[in-house]
Order: sequence, then C-alpha cells, then structure tokens
Amino acid sequence: MRVLVVGAGISGLFVARELALRGVKDVTVVDSGYPGGGATLRNLGCFRSSFTSPEHVVLIKESIREWLRLRDEMGLSLEQRGYLWVARKPETLEGFRKLTEFHHQFGVPTRLVDADEVRLLEPRLNARVVVGAMFDPTAGRMPIIENFVKLYLEVKRLGVRVVPYTRVTRLVPRGSRVTAAETSRGPVEADAFVVAAGGDSRDILATVGVDVPITDVPRHPYVTEPYAETLRPALIIDWDTPGSPHVSQNEHGSFVLARDLEDAPRVSIYSHRADAIPHILKPLRELLPLLSGVNVLRYWMGYYDMTPDHHPIYGPVEPYENLYVAAGFSGHGMMMGPVTGKLIASWILDGRPHIDVARNLTLERFKTGRLVKELAVIG
Amino acid sequence: MRREVTVVCRCNDVTREDILKAIEMGIDDFELLRKYLRLGFGPCQGRSCVMIAARIFARAKGKSVEEVLSNYRVRPPIVPVPAKYFARGLKP
Repeated sequence: MRVLVVGAGISGLFVARELALRGVKDVTVVDSGYPGGGATLRNLGCFRSSFTSPEHVVLIKESIREWLRLRDEMGLSLEQRGYLWVARKPETLEGFRKLTEFHHQFGVPTRLVDADEVRLLEPRLNARVVVGAMFDPTAGRMPIIENFVKLYLEVKRLGVRVVPYTRVTRLVPRGSRVTAAETSRGPVEADAFVVAAGGDSRDILATVGVDVPITDVPRHPYVTEPYAETLRPALIIDWDTPGSPHVSQNEHGSFVLARDLEDAPRVSIYSHRADAIPHILKPLRELLPLLSGVNVLRYWMGYYDMTPDHHPIYGPVEPYENLYVAAGFSGHGMMMGPVTGKLIASWILDGRPHIDVARNLTLERFKTGRLVKELAVIG
Repeated sequence: MRREVTVVCRCNDVTREDILKAIEMGIDDFELLRKYLRLGFGPCQGRSCVMIAARIFARAKGKSVEEVLSNYRVRPPIVPVPAKYFARGLKP
C-alpha cells in the first residue's frame, strides 16, 4: 500500500510514523517548505487536556499519555509543571469551580486554588491583582524543536520518504477515488492520501470540490532574553483580560509572551505587528512585575488554523474512499500529534478511529450542523 | 579544556563540530539544523554565526550558500530591546 501524506509538520509526521510502525511499506510525506516550517515550529509547545468539550479532553488526555510514553521510547523531553489560570475577579472563580467539576468527570485533576495557594504555586505573581486561580498539574510544556527533530529522524529511520519544498497543486480524482497528487515536482500516485497541511489543506481539498472551513488566524509571540529566575508553572494565563495574555518560560530561561489579538485573517506571514508587544506586555507585567525588567529578543508570527468550532477536522473526506484529512487544529496540533497519528492510521488501516469520540470530528459535521459543543464555557 | 574546536555561535556556544555532528545525525535541512542548534536565537540574532554555519552546511551537502539560506528570516527587533520601551508605546 502506498500512502501520500501532504504536510511534514507534527501531524503529518506522526501519521507517517504510525503507518510505518503498522507495516505500511511505502509512505511518502511532501511539504511545500521545510519539515515543521508551518505552525509546528512556531507554537509555544504547551499542552493540557483541561478543555471544555468531551472530544478535546478525551483525545488530548490520551495524546499526553502517548507523549509521556514517547518520552521514554524516543528520548523526548517534556515537563508537567502545570497551567495556572489566574483570576482577577472573584466571580471568575465560580466559573473555574464548574470547569473543574467537568474535568473531574474525565479524570483530569484540575483544582481551584485560593490566593494563598497561588502564592505557593508562583510567589512572583502580584498578590494585589490575583484573587485565585485554576491549576492543572498534568499540563506542561516541551522543547518543540528538539522533539520535532527527533521525530523527523525517527520517521526517516523507519523508511518514510520525506520530500520538502514540494507543493501539492492539485489532487486528481477518478470516480470515487483520488489517484494522484500533482506537485511542483510532478505527479505522485498513491493508494491513500492524507492532507495534513494546516490552512493549506483548504486550498488542496478545494481542488477536488471539498469545502474545508479553516481560517488562518495570525498569532504574534515574543521571546525575551534568558533569565535565571524560573517560573514554576509551565504556563500562566491572565484569564480576566481579553485575549487571555499568557506567559511561559522555555528550557533556556527565555520568557515567551503571547495574547490572542484581533487580527485580519490570512495576512502575509511577513506582516509584523509592532503594537502586539505593548498589548501583550501591559497586562502581563501587572500580573508578573518581573517582566518589567526583561529585554525583548525576538518576535515571530504563525497561524492558528481555526475551524468554526475550534476543533480539528479528522478522518475520511467524502465522497472519496481513499482521502483523509487531519487539519484545522485551531492552536492544538502539537499537543494532539501522537493521537492524530494513531487516529488517522487506524481510519486508513482498520476503517475506523481507535478512539470512538473522534467520529464527532469528521468534516461531515459542518454539513449536518452537528458542531462540537463546548460543555463548560467560562465567563 | 576543549581541544581543536571552532566556535561558530558565541551566543549559544555552538561549534563547527556540533554542526557536522548534527548533519551526520541526519538533519538535512539548514533551517531545521539552525533551529535545532539555536543558531541565530541569541542576542546577536545570527549576525555572527548564520553565514558561517550556512557555509559549513553548504559545503557538507554540496549545495550553494544561497540555496541553503533561502528560508532564513531575520526576526525583529534586530537587537534586544528593554520591554519597558514597548509598553510606553501604548496609548493610555
């Protein structure tokens, strides 16, 4: 069986790895740029299963379990130092309490913490603005580049062909099957096709008349110079400020700062926003005064490939028998990588996903209107 | 003391030997190699290391330096800037 995976990011490589491990001999991955050059090497590397829909919680909890297994098996690095959602308003805590009840139904041990315990979890937070928080001790962060490179090298060792700088211009259908992909370096034939190309998946699938509702939304993270001072949680989120500004510290000591800002979708990747720095920094340095003294080192841009319900699109692409999609991760593709690989491989090889709840995330849901419902939305 | 090493990146202490070892490991794309070794991630933003590293990589892989650097992007700000100067830019 020959499988062509479009997109050599975290999703595409985990799909390829899983197929190779399950005995598929001929797996090729093409990418329009270099491996990981899209959202994979641009995100913050943070992970959590404490979401607000059963689909996200179940799948990402399993994905984190898998990441932890791969830490031993492939020598990856990751740390579960927890996410701390900080509340500035007392009424927010009631929302957090409901959310922890929701998480507990799925065995995710989030908990409500009072102002005193917040001080224990991160003594450098400004006690004058913090009234309490929600803490997820199983959440964490990872050095993305290191882990991605290890995955890339393993996938190649398993015999997968990774072909960079090769853009798919068109899929070629014949009846109910896709027979080939036309690329900038000529056509590639295969027995099954997986489109895992982030926002570009929309354009690729449009060539076979399939509408994929993904919008590229720009994100603007900043990184500071490294500091010896160490944040205890993996991520601190300023929940009561619009766009929830957040700060993480990487394994080299640099703080990484970001916030969801209103932005025009699909702007050029080179459209830098100098105004993003003050918007991100102002609320965060009130929360964490040590950020007032840091030096901003570097800024970059990347896309969230957003879907209408902020959940990924997984599985078969109708009406084709041999076409699959794994895209629209809406900012969660890195953390979902391992589970994405197993889901798509089981869909291709067994005809059904290895975790049942993934059936709710097929492209079909946008036709039937059965979008994923967030069961516990706070605020 | 380290013997016979050539320092390429002084911000993150990366040597020519580190680069050759990473190529040997199978990292066959310059952007991937640059990010893996954190070349250009320090306060110099790659001004001292990236050209040298690109040349070592190009020579090892039989490519042109131009081709090797085709995906390299300089990220702003060009030098580290104290955060407080950015925060001042906000209108009250």
